[in-house]
Amino acid sequence: MRKLRILLADDHIVMRTGLRALLERQPNLEVVGECENGRETVALAASLEPDVVVMDVGMPVLSGIEATQTIVTQNPNVAVVILSMHADESYVMRALKAGARGYLLKDSAAADLIGAIQAISQGKSFFSPKVSRILAEDYVRVLKQKGAVDTYDLLTSREREILQLLAEGKTNKEVATALTISPYTVETHRSHILQKLNLHNSAELVLYAVRKGIIS
Amino acid sequence: MATLSKLAGQDGEQMTEMKPDPPVASKFPSREWFGSGAALFAGFGTLLILMATVSIDSLHTLEAFETHDTQIRKEFVYREHTLEQVRTGVYESGDIISDYAVIESDPPSQARLRNEFQSMLKETTASLKACIQSLPADKREPFQHLADELERYWLKGDRLLALLATEKKGSGHFALRSDVLSQYAEVLAITRDVRTVNDNELKETDRRIAETFAQFRRRLLAFGMIGFGFGLILATTTIVYAGRLEKSLQEKYRESLQAQRELKELSKRLVDAEERERRAISRELHDEVGQSLSALLIDVGNLTEMCSQDAAFRQGLQRIKTLAENCVNEVRNMALLLRPSMLDDLGLVAALDWQARETSKRTGMLVETVDENVSESLPEEYKTCVYRIVQEALNNCSKHAYAKNVRVVVRQDPNYFRVSIEDDGKGFDASRVRGLGLVGMNERVSQLGGVLKVESDPARGTRLRVDLPLPFASANLEN
Repeated sequence: MRKLRILLADDHIVMRTGLRALLERQPNLEVVGECENGRETVALAASLEPDVVVMDVGMPVLSGIEATQTIVTQNPNVAVVILSMHADESYVMRALKAGARGYLLKDSAAADLIGAIQAISQGKSFFSPKVSRILAEDYVRVLKQKGAVDTYDLLTSREREILQLLAEGKTNKEVATALTISPYTVETHRSHILQKLNLHNSAELVLYAVRKGIIS
Repeated sequence: MATLSKLAGQDGEQMTEMKPDPPVASKFPSREWFGSGAALFAGFGTLLILMATVSIDSLHTLEAFETHDTQIRKEFVYREHTLEQVRTGVYESGDIISDYAVIESDPPSQARLRNEFQSMLKETTASLKACIQSLPADKREPFQHLADELERYWLKGDRLLALLATEKKGSGHFALRSDVLSQYAEVLAITRDVRTVNDNELKETDRRIAETFAQFRRRLLAFGMIGFGFGLILATTTIVYAGRLEKSLQEKYRESLQAQRELKELSKRLVDAEERERRAISRELHDEVGQSLSALLIDVGNLTEMCSQDAAFRQGLQRIKTLAENCVNEVRNMALLLRPSMLDDLGLVAALDWQARETSKRTGMLVETVDENVSESLPEEYKTCVYRIVQEALNNCSKHAYAKNVRVVVRQDPNYFRVSIEDDGKGFDASRVRGLGLVGMNERVSQLGGVLKVESDPARGTRLRVDLPLPFASANLEN
């Protein structure tokens, strides 16, 4: 079995050393490079073509978010997991918009990083449990304060199924194959879902799924 | 860590402690000015008293002159009249003596003439005596002489009349008659002399009066000169004093304007410095302390994996992990409190959304944020200003207004950045209440040349509006 090739990006050498030690204990993982700023990461990601980039948010020269955007645009096969200090949804949203598939809090990286790398390398999304919990709590609280109806109840069971698959990171085509329907039908469902939930893009859809606890 | 938490705790009080120094004491001690004022007051007082004194004195003098002059003229006329009377008496007595000699053969007529002569004698003597009585002692002499000669004349005249009545055409009466005639001439001559004396005296008096008048005129002139000189000095002093006063006032006004400008500049620098420090500390906490603790957590995780056999060792590591996790949370919250990293990392809208969520979570208020057209490249001071204003306003909404819903709207127009914060709380009288929070907001807004308006109504809650003019460059950054 081929080892997963990982690129580490963090401006703190202590952090990189710790992460490398953590990752190298896993037999199926291999750290192929380390970088300490965003621009270097973009360059190495292009030349090394790693499977996964473990990306710190706050880096000099070019931030982790911007680097992520460039890397994913250049090579959609590279999965990026963001390491951040913040559990706030504005950061999560920005990371998702930039194209990151995973979002981890640094203080729980030791416990979650291996699982996150495995998940995103298989095309799924991954969020630190703490992030999922905070997002879900916010969602419930706002619903309660507004006294509004949970729009999730408006979805049909098929739409809920498709929402989950899309949120896990599957493409329209993959969803179509899994459910044995046409990709166009999936697209129609997708736009219905976005409309009903008042969402505008895939990033928001994923965030919504995390809030609802559909994925973690 | 202890100093840092202390620093974060003092956060709220920081602005109130930065009071400006009391204004510097004036360069002009008020005592000096008070002294000058008193001197001027005394000067003007003296001038007025001088003028009043001169006026009263002049009036008195003139009045005295008038009385004196009238008196003198009255006396002169009286004396003149008496002299005239004497002369008339003497002339008439001459006529009587002549007549007496002619009508010698008619005794009753003679008796009548003699009576007439005697009554005239009495009359003139009495008048002259009365006149002498009215004179001062030093002026009596010529009159007294006249009176003596007159008396002698009367006696001689009377004796002549007696002689003429008894010894008709006697030898003795011719001698007496010539003696009486010479005495008659003598009295008339003396009368003329006395008259001249009287005239001279009048002339002398006139001369003296003229001289006194001249003296009075000189005195008046001298007083006038002194008054004029004094007034001139006083006027000059007053002009100089007023000039200096005006100059000092202008100086003071300029100083106060300068002080105001400096104060404003200082306050801006304080606000800027506070923000800069907050950002620096926040960054330091977040990037250095937070990251190091995160790295520590990774290493603890690694260690835990490596020594899975020793339970006590694992428990120790678990405690370290918990402690480090708490520290990370603490540091993160502290850093966010000082200055949210979203403001620098993700922009104003993200920071406001975060602030809204945090406030909602903490207070139970429903905070809704709406953003329209907000540029990512909004200048730094605008981001900070808007963020801090919304932060303070939300703080007020929950602390004072007890609002349930708050709506924050930020909108970027071509020339203005507009912020509106509306709540459904209990409101207040915006024309009277001006808390420190509002003062601080106003300060920030005015530094960017903006306007802050507060509309509040106890029935309908509060609406706070801020309009910040955008510099031309940033207005164009939108596209």
